[in-house]
Amino acid sequence: MKKRTFSTVGQVTRRKDGISKVTGREVYSSDVSLPNMLYARVLRSPYPHAKIVSIDLTEAEKMGAICITPADVPKIRYNERQVSIPEKTYRDRTVLPEKTRHVGEGIAAVAARTEALAEKMLQKITVKYERLKAVFDPFEAMKPGASQLYKDVILGDVVLPITRNIACNREVSEGDIEKGFKEADLVIENEFRTGRAYHHQMETKAVVCRPEPDGGITIWSTMQSIHNARQLLGRIFNISLSKINVHRVPIGGTFGSSIQMNSPVAICVALALKARTPVKLVLTREEDMYDHCKYPSIIKLKHGIKRDGTITAGEMKVFVDIGAHNIQAYPLLGCMAGWFVSLYRMPHMRFEGTSVYTNKAPACAMQGFGNPQVSFAVESQIDIIAEELGIDPIEMRLKNYVGLGETFWGQGPTVRSVIRSCGVEEMLIKGKELIGWDKRVKPEEKTGRFRLGIGVGRSFHTSGTGAPVPGEVMDYSTAMVKFNEDGSVDCLTALMCHGGGTLEAIAKIVAEEIGVPLTKVEISPADTRSTGYDVCTHATRGVYCGGASAQRAANEAKRKLLKFASRILEVNPEVLKIRPDEESDQGIIFLEGAKGKSITVGEVARIAQIKGWGTAISVESHRQVNCPPCFVTNLIEVEVDTETGQIKPVRAVAAVDAGTVINPDLAAGQLEGGLCRGIGLALLEDTEYNPETGELTCGANLTDYKIYTSADMPLVDDIHTFFASTYEPSGPMGAKGVGEAAINCTAGTVANAIYNAIGVRFKEAPITPEKVLAKLGEKTKKH
Amino acid sequence: MMKRKMVNFKVNGELHEVLVESNALLVNVLREELGLTGTKYSCGTGQCGSCTVLVNGKPALSCLMLAVAVDGADIVTIEGLAKPDGSLEPVQEAFLDHSAIQCGFCTPGMVIMGRDLLNKNSNPSESEIQEHIKGTLCRCTGYTSIVRAIKSCGK
Repeated sequence: MKKRTFSTVGQVTRRKDGISKVTGREVYSSDVSLPNMLYARVLRSPYPHAKIVSIDLTEAEKMGAICITPADVPKIRYNERQVSIPEKTYRDRTVLPEKTRHVGEGIAAVAARTEALAEKMLQKITVKYERLKAVFDPFEAMKPGASQLYKDVILGDVVLPITRNIACNREVSEGDIEKGFKEADLVIENEFRTGRAYHHQMETKAVVCRPEPDGGITIWSTMQSIHNARQLLGRIFNISLSKINVHRVPIGGTFGSSIQMNSPVAICVALALKARTPVKLVLTREEDMYDHCKYPSIIKLKHGIKRDGTITAGEMKVFVDIGAHNIQAYPLLGCMAGWFVSLYRMPHMRFEGTSVYTNKAPACAMQGFGNPQVSFAVESQIDIIAEELGIDPIEMRLKNYVGLGETFWGQGPTVRSVIRSCGVEEMLIKGKELIGWDKRVKPEEKTGRFRLGIGVGRSFHTSGTGAPVPGEVMDYSTAMVKFNEDGSVDCLTALMCHGGGTLEAIAKIVAEEIGVPLTKVEISPADTRSTGYDVCTHATRGVYCGGASAQRAANEAKRKLLKFASRILEVNPEVLKIRPDEESDQGIIFLEGAKGKSITVGEVARIAQIKGWGTAISVESHRQVNCPPCFVTNLIEVEVDTETGQIKPVRAVAAVDAGTVINPDLAAGQLEGGLCRGIGLALLEDTEYNPETGELTCGANLTDYKIYTSADMPLVDDIHTFFASTYEPSGPMGAKGVGEAAINCTAGTVANAIYNAIGVRFKEAPITPEKVLAKLGEKTKKH
Repeated sequence: MMKRKMVNFKVNGELHEVLVESNALLVNVLREELGLTGTKYSCGTGQCGSCTVLVNGKPALSCLMLAVAVDGADIVTIEGLAKPDGSLEPVQEAFLDHSAIQCGFCTPGMVIMGRDLLNKNSNPSESEIQEHIKGTLCRCTGYTSIVRAIKSCGK
């Protein structure tokens, strides 16, 4: 594919929201304050599973509290996340439940003049519970006779009975799995586990709701998709969608934690409607930790391989402990099947996934949506196979990866498209040189207390959920582009920036498409009433899908502008071009080779206005019909302290094949961040529950739920990021995504590096010092 | 009713007289009474560093500090780092140039810790930077770009 040259795309520029962020002037949801605003607090269940018999508000109401209980809220069952088609959407929750299914579930709420007063009022509420037996282990939960979280849920519009606490399951197969295993010289089977990590976004979930005089509501909240909230709130509270305005507000990190409309939003709306005045609800860190976590996984993985390293068959059985609510388990299982199929070629495959309810905090999407889990298992297994066959791990990957011209499953079995750009080989070869792969020695050749080991891992993420045939998941974006009379350009989109630079990329794409300097393009503030529907930012789709819709709107607005220009310059509009002009600091419209036939963008917009021709403006909805993989590769060196079991990452190479890289510095930043969080998943992060109380054993605080600090990371010069030089023909300016890909292969790479250091294979993440010491102990005993 | 007390302190060079409840936390007084929302509330228990401000020139976690305890103090928040004419402090410029900002929620605390380190050590090493900001958690960047930004300010 011919690579284009760009004037704005690919340039390192200061991010447009940088000054407000670095001066403390960026307004996040938790900073929003309105006149006559009340503060809310939520009464939360101390029990993991209990019927709420009665709630006595007398004392709280005497203090002037505005209270809501399950009796005061709509009974409608909903799913906080609406992106699957309706008949694949499982609905199991209400604004407040009549039965609590995990510790920390909100069961009543109050609003008062101050947060402290609201908290005091909460303490005056008396609740009678009837405790029910709780289940914490997914396998116990599936046993006959186990305590049941749900009698039924709603699937689409149909009542679906729930048995054995199984929320949903999926089976996918291609080819003939038995035949595939028969053709193999070797069958390798292992079980892998990954933890229930917590998102740990720095801003806890927050919401402000203002009831409007016309019966409508206005919302400011931590969320990835404002249109998701608009639709849900309309349905739950029976408010016309044209009277609901959800603002896009900068968010203090999300990593998936706000992919759904979070539980505080509906609670806050119910309170505000009752109070008839604005209400603000900000979760404490403890409440936030009981609200969501990552989907953990138990993965039974079986591969059939020929002596030469060809994979003949692959089978994956997955169990996911989803906790108390089913938010996206059905698409998650489909995606996990897709990630499995798309990593390495398997002529025969089978996938079986089961998701199980337990009395824990509900799991939801977290960067990678099942991919870090699948890649941890598969990338570990590929190294196990390579060693068994005496093949170099990089050679094994190069031999079997799914690449150019092959089919990629971007979002489960129903979203497939053909791979048209692929940098897998380039990244493995370059990464190999950068880390010094050829100097890597076997674990048995290492001695001493501190042992170094190098591991490799690769993965990808989808760029959006588009495909030639629409599947079970909705995917399109809408953008508006318009020209102002001074040559500046406004772009309006409901897309969200989670911090990675999505909106920065949109501005660059629009500037490039039109031919104006980046300084002349601004992204307008957005809300649901002024933007078209957009599934917004998730599934690594911001640049690839959202960018494509912005590009289309920019192109159409430009066409209109050039038509105006052609009337002024008296030439045919098709021959006119626009380029950034340094002298006028805006775009200049010109006729190639014809001196004098030129005019600035602003002048055309101004003349068009004065003469009454109109505004050059366009709104476009656009669906991408591909879901190209953004491939990623890590090579990591760790140091294992064989006396303490401590593992320290010492060097890392992280590469992504993002097609054309729109924001090189921000894309590198995503790789660095993904690396840090991925190492955390591998070595540190998990949540456990006390089976007696149903409480988090870490106490739901940030000291005992540890993440990596600056002092735990390798030095700057020991982290190397780079980009594959590819061009995605279906992407805006040749771009694919980065986002989630950045974390997907890291945990598997770390496990492979640990194996190379000490010769011990860990199949359960996080790989804690305790586990390392236990395994090293076993190893010494054997000798 | 909680006992109230009048406190006087300087915030970003400006004198304030605020009537506060005796258990009011500095972070809440800054954010809610003075409207200085650049100081962030994230864990509320002194574990993440998002609420860091300078009190008499030293970094302090404003979520652990009672407002009555800073009576007479000179406080600098993120809003007070830039010069009155709007020109940015070198650490702020460096965060912009090194793309050391993603979601931006830890940025105020990080910038203040960077300033604090540079006040004490005009040319810190990478390890000294890593050590100095280790109490300020960032979930987005992996810290690499932040360390790079602070290091670039060394002389």
